Amino acid sequence: MQEREIAEKLEASFRKVFNMNTLEIKREMTANDIDKWDSLTHMLLISEIEDTFEIRFKLKELNRMKNVGDMIDLISEKLQ
Amino acid sequence: MAFTSFNFLIFFPLVLILYWLTPGKYRYITLLIASYFFYINVKPVLALVLFGVSAAAWGFALLMSGTRNEKKRRTYFLVNIIIVLLPLVFFKYFSAINNALLKYLTEIRLNWPLPEMRFILPIGISFYTFMALGYAIDVYNDELKAERNPGIIGLFISFFPLILSGPIERAGNMLPQFRKAQSPDFALIAKGLQLILWGYFMKLVVADRIGIYVTSVYSHVEHHNGTSLLFASMLYPFQLYADLGGYSLIAIGCSNILGYKIIPNFNRPFFAPTMAEFWRRWHMSLITWLTDYVYTPLSFALRKYKVWGIVCALLLTFLLSGIWHGATMTFLMWGLMQGIFLSAEALLNQRKSIIEKKYSLEKKRWYIVAGIVFTFLMFSSSMVFSRAATFHDAMVVYNKIFTEHGPLFVGSPSTMIYLGCGLILLLLKDFLDEFYPHKIKLFDNDNTIVRTMSYSAIIIIILLIGVFDSSQFIYFQF
Amino acid sequence: MKLFQCIKQNKYIKRTIHIIFLLATVAVIDLALGNLLENFYFKQKSGWLYRTTYALNETTADLVIIGSSRANHHYHPEVLSKNLNLTYYNAGRDGSYIFYHYAVIRSILKRYKPKVIIFDFIKTGFKPSQESYHRTAYLLPYYRSHPELRDIIETKSTFEKIKLLSRIYPYNSMLVTIAAGHPALHSTRDGDNKGFIPLLDKWNEPLVSYKASPCYDFDKKEVSIYESILSDCKKSGIQLYVVVSPYYYKHESPDCSVVEARKIAAKYNVPFFDFGENQYFLDKPYLFDDSYHLNENGARVFSAQLVEAIKQEESKTYAFQSNLDQ
Repeated sequence: MQEREIAEKLEASFRKVFNMNTLEIKREMTANDIDKWDSLTHMLLISEIEDTFEIRFKLKELNRMKNVGDMIDLISEKLQ
Repeated sequence: MAFTSFNFLIFFPLVLILYWLTPGKYRYITLLIASYFFYINVKPVLALVLFGVSAAAWGFALLMSGTRNEKKRRTYFLVNIIIVLLPLVFFKYFSAINNALLKYLTEIRLNWPLPEMRFILPIGISFYTFMALGYAIDVYNDELKAERNPGIIGLFISFFPLILSGPIERAGNMLPQFRKAQSPDFALIAKGLQLILWGYFMKLVVADRIGIYVTSVYSHVEHHNGTSLLFASMLYPFQLYADLGGYSLIAIGCSNILGYKIIPNFNRPFFAPTMAEFWRRWHMSLITWLTDYVYTPLSFALRKYKVWGIVCALLLTFLLSGIWHGATMTFLMWGLMQGIFLSAEALLNQRKSIIEKKYSLEKKRWYIVAGIVFTFLMFSSSMVFSRAATFHDAMVVYNKIFTEHGPLFVGSPSTMIYLGCGLILLLLKDFLDEFYPHKIKLFDNDNTIVRTMSYSAIIIIILLIGVFDSSQFIYFQF
Repeated sequence: MKLFQCIKQNKYIKRTIHIIFLLATVAVIDLALGNLLENFYFKQKSGWLYRTTYALNETTADLVIIGSSRANHHYHPEVLSKNLNLTYYNAGRDGSYIFYHYAVIRSILKRYKPKVIIFDFIKTGFKPSQESYHRTAYLLPYYRSHPELRDIIETKSTFEKIKLLSRIYPYNSMLVTIAAGHPALHSTRDGDNKGFIPLLDKWNEPLVSYKASPCYDFDKKEVSIYESILSDCKKSGIQLYVVVSPYYYKHESPDCSVVEARKIAAKYNVPFFDFGENQYFLDKPYLFDDSYHLNENGARVFSAQLVEAIKQEESKTYAFQSNLDQ
């Protein structure tokens, strides 16, 4: 999958989980930038991403995802 | 030796002098010795426990990183966890477990009276255990490289400003700082002194004064009316905030003076408009520890249950938090209540944000104020459990608050006046810092005279109305 | 000018000067405020702070009552004064402990010799407690003017001498009380009757009986202070009576402090009267204000009974003396 496609699908997941229809994600974004993104909703997001891309994360990998860009990279890694 | 004992006012400057006299590379050794001296002053035997936990943490971390065999690593990790947790479980929960066991044995008529052993709970064990655990978990998860120098690990776990009541620091933050030879950073030292001064104000003027009133009401719940119990229950969160918050500031300030940066523990919690936000501002070092090492793994394991997975993880995490605070039913209930509040908030969040968007409530002042008040009420209602001596007492308090009203118990008018003054001053500062930061600069004003007068004012206030001993106790005659 | 520039630029010197400036400012404010507080403290003409001053500095009564709140509320001035034919002052103070009591006695003995001192002894009087040391704070305002009390005040804590460098420290937490005690406002305070404060409620809860409790280790300092009270009074030729006044609760075993106090009193030949669990009072809750204090009626009744006991004791001594003379 191309990075652009991953980003689009990821954005859709964000919009779904946080109920924000006009949200646009960028690589540098972190939980600080999105109001609804906190430790309570983070797992919902992770689960949604796993369902969307049909991948499984490992607990150790969670810490590697410090921003949206890391997420895209990791997803891309897992899809190969 | 508590921060508020005079001994500490002599100990700390002495340590400072020795510290700056020691050549940079070896300063951590001076601190290590000072920390053990500090801790031994409680009871020599307890220092052995501290040493044991530190040795285990250091040794097993090295063993873990010394092998690539996944199974071996796992084993070392588990043994490490067990050894580090053992003293905490033993000292804190021994009597609870002992009593429960005894009750069970009596019920099944196998009554072998176990020896009545009374242990003094080693001070700080709850805190340094968590710090040691955090280190072990970080090494196991490859977040951190194992430290070869036992002195550095020993210092990390025993560091005297933090050992008694936190903040609970992380190896990732502290080890690099301990390894480096610090040179005096005047800005940090000045900041540290400010924090210490304000910390003493919070503890001596606010916390201990409120404590006098709250204790006189809560130690006789049967004899006070609902009005007094309500008032005391609403004061108690402020007492806790001023107590642990003040203590943390002193801890952070002392560390700053020594040249180390420490994570903050409180961030004006009473201005939080939701419970979720509250827990991001209250006892932050504990909450982030629990989030990183308990809640995240748990919610990750349960993520396929979506919101219910989160609810479950929340409940379990806060139950654990309750147990960490105390080995009694009341603390368990307290933890459970926190979990329930947060879960309720999480579950209702979607609906809430829809309503908020519809009426654009988020910016409205009254809505924010309502949120703050409601959050405070939720928190103080749960604190009844943590303050009451027994489960029964807590129930009495709740019952009376709703059924039995009457004249407010004042006890000693001067106590109330000093209490009011201190609390108002504290809340005023927090209010300004929260909503109008940098508007009124006192401690960090550029003008030396303004700064000096501000510091002097606080010192004088502490001398005038700080609580220095137990001669201030109100006798409640009933 | 050059030196000034140099100082301004050197970080270490600048910081040191700031700190010295701060310390000097605090010292000046401390001195000024401390003096102000001291001034107003001693201007008071009523209230418990004043009564302590009166007991230490002014009273010349022939009969002085020493003790805690129990002393303050139990020993009736009219009954005792009339029947013992002595001028009376009650120096009992709420929440005070044996260090305070000894200080009052010492101060009094330095100024004059009363004929009789009644020392109200409480159950658990020798039980170690932090509070008994901390409540020596009542004496802090007198540290400077009463050199004879300094060693007692210094028992409060190891670093008391250093803390006393601050002039405000002795008046810690007294600000409101001192302000309220300003002579312009003192009419708002309840008066006392020669130091005695009557209690007016009537108790009507059932009698509580506590299980036997094991004996505890005595606080050695407190025991030694007690002995000093007895010996100082003996040496000055003052008639001392040690009294345990009534309680409205009882224990299944006698309190070991009381037992010890009685033993020591016998050693010094000091009469010891124990009304602590006197059945006459245990039957009459209406004589009590709460389970720990008699009310005014109770004080009258108790004081009358105490007078009887004292008179009996006196006649015994008199008889003994006359036997010796023959």
